[in-house]
Amino acid sequence: MSDLAYERKEVILRVADLSLAINGRKVLRDINFEVKDIVRPGCTQGQVLALLGPSGIGKTQLLRMLAGLQRPSTGTVTVTDKAIPVHPGMIGMVTQSYTLFGWRTVLGNLMTAARQAGLPTREAREKSLDLLRQFHLEPCRHLYPAQLSGGQRQRVAIAQQVLSGGHYLLMDEPFSGLDMLEEENVCKLIVGVSCADDLNTIIVVTHDVRAAATVADTILMLGQVRSADGKLLPGATICEKYDLIERNLAWHEQITTRPEFYDLMRELRAKFVSLAGP
Amino acid sequence: MNHILAVFSPNHAVSRRVFALMVAVEILVFWAIWETVPSAMIPRPGQVTEAFGRLWMEEGLGHELVTSLLLNLEAICLTAAISLALAYLTVLPVVRPLVVAVSKGRFLGFIGLTFVFTMVFAGGHTLKLAMLVFGMTVFFVTSMADVIVRIPKENYDLARTLRMSTWRVVWEVVVLGTMDQAIEVLRQNAAMGWMMLTMVEGMVRSEGGIGMLLLNQNKHFQLAAVLAIQVTILCVGLAQDYAIGVLKSLLCPYAEMGKESR
Repeated sequence: MSDLAYERKEVILRVADLSLAINGRKVLRDINFEVKDIVRPGCTQGQVLALLGPSGIGKTQLLRMLAGLQRPSTGTVTVTDKAIPVHPGMIGMVTQSYTLFGWRTVLGNLMTAARQAGLPTREAREKSLDLLRQFHLEPCRHLYPAQLSGGQRQRVAIAQQVLSGGHYLLMDEPFSGLDMLEEENVCKLIVGVSCADDLNTIIVVTHDVRAAATVADTILMLGQVRSADGKLLPGATICEKYDLIERNLAWHEQITTRPEFYDLMRELRAKFVSLAGP
Repeated sequence: MNHILAVFSPNHAVSRRVFALMVAVEILVFWAIWETVPSAMIPRPGQVTEAFGRLWMEEGLGHELVTSLLLNLEAICLTAAISLALAYLTVLPVVRPLVVAVSKGRFLGFIGLTFVFTMVFAGGHTLKLAMLVFGMTVFFVTSMADVIVRIPKENYDLARTLRMSTWRVVWEVVVLGTMDQAIEVLRQNAAMGWMMLTMVEGMVRSEGGIGMLLLNQNKHFQLAAVLAIQVTILCVGLAQDYAIGVLKSLLCPYAEMGKESR
C-alpha cells in the first residue's frame, strides 16, 4: 500500500475493446484499460501511464489510435469524464522522431500551437516565450528544428503540445537514444508536465523498463498471449498491469534507490523477456 | 598536398577557396583544350568573341535577348501558378486524375503539338507562350506532385494533433512545408524553359527572339555566331539560376540545414 494519501476519482480516458488489423493481419486485439483522475490532498498530481512492450509489437499504432489519428478496426477511445469519443486534436502526441514544422523557427512552432489553441497573437507570443524559458530553450528561439540537438527537439515538441492546451499527451519512445543524464532530465520533464494540472495525463510508450518504472504510476505490458491449448494468439494485447501506487513506488524522490524498485525491475524484465520470445 | 588529395576523396567537404581554385583550374583546362582542338570546324574562343561583337552591334542580339528573356519570365510565372495550383490540389481526390493526365503530357512530342496549338492560339506571342507553358507545366506538375506524395505522415499527424482544420493542414504542411522544394522545382524548370525557348522561337518566328537568331545563324553555317549565342544563353541561364537560388535562401533559410556540406 502507498504511504501517500490519494484517491482515484472519475475515469478520464477509457479504451474499450480496441483492435486493429492491417491488410488482414491482426496487429492489436482486445485492448481495454482506463485512466482515472488521481487526487492527492495538498498537491497537484497528474497521471502517468507507461505502455511497455517489445519492439514491433504495435505500440506506435496503439498511440495513433489513442490520438484519433488512426481508425481502429473495432472498439472505442473516449476522453474526459463525459466520455467524449476521441478525435484528432484532443490528445497531443510527441513522435519518436520529435516531429516539428521544419520550416518554422522554434518560436514559430510554439506560436503556431498557441494560435491553434485560440490565443491571440500577442498572448501566444508571451506564452511561447514563457514556456521557452521554463524548458531552458530561450537561446534557441530563432533556430530552425534542423539546427537543434535531439534533446532540444524533444523539449520543443513537448512544449508545443503543452501550448496546444490539452490535458492529454502521448509520447512515443521518449527515452530512445538518450544517455543516463538526458534520460533523467526527460523523466523530470514528464513528471513536471504531468504535475502542472490535476487532469494532465501522459501516456508514455517505451521499451525502456527502468525509465518507465521511474516516471509512471501505472505500467501496462503489451504482448502476445497464448490460448488455452498453447497457441500464440495473433495480435498484441495488454497482458499485465502494474499499479505502482499500490506498490508504494510512485511519486517518491530517489525511487530508484529503493530495494522494492529493483524487485519491480526484475519482475518487469522477466515478463518483458517472456513476451519478447526467443 | 592534403587539399589536393581531398578533392579526389568521395564525399569530402572542401573549403570555398579550394572549390574556387578547382573551378578556375577546370575552366583553364577546358579553355586550353578548346584552343588546341585539332578540328578546323570548331571555332576558336577568339572567333566566338568576334562573332558575339558582330551579333550585338549589327544583328540586334541584345534586343532579341530581351524579347526571349521577357517571354521566358512570363512563361515561368504562368507555369508556376498553374503547376503549383494543380499539384497542391492533388490533396483533392477529384483532381488527381487530371494531374496524372497532365503529367503524362510530357511524352507528347512538341513538333506534333504545334498544329493543335496554332489552331487554338492562332499565332505570335500567345502561341509561343502557350507552347512554353505547356512544355514546362507537364514536367513541373510531375515533380511537384511527387514532392507532395513524399510528405511524411508525421507532418500531417503533427498538424492534426494541433487541431488544424483540413484546409489549414493543407496550407501548413502541403504549401508552406514544400515551399523550398517548390522553388527548387521552379529552378529546374526555368532552366528547361531556355532549352524549349530556342525550339519554340525557331518554330514560331514572329516577334523574333534569340531562338530565331540562333536558327538563322545555324542555317548559314555561322558556327562562331551559333556558339556565341549559346554562350550568351548559358550566361543568362546561370544568372537566372543564381537569382532563384538567392530567392530560395531568403525565403527558405532552413532548406540547406542538416544536409552534408560538400
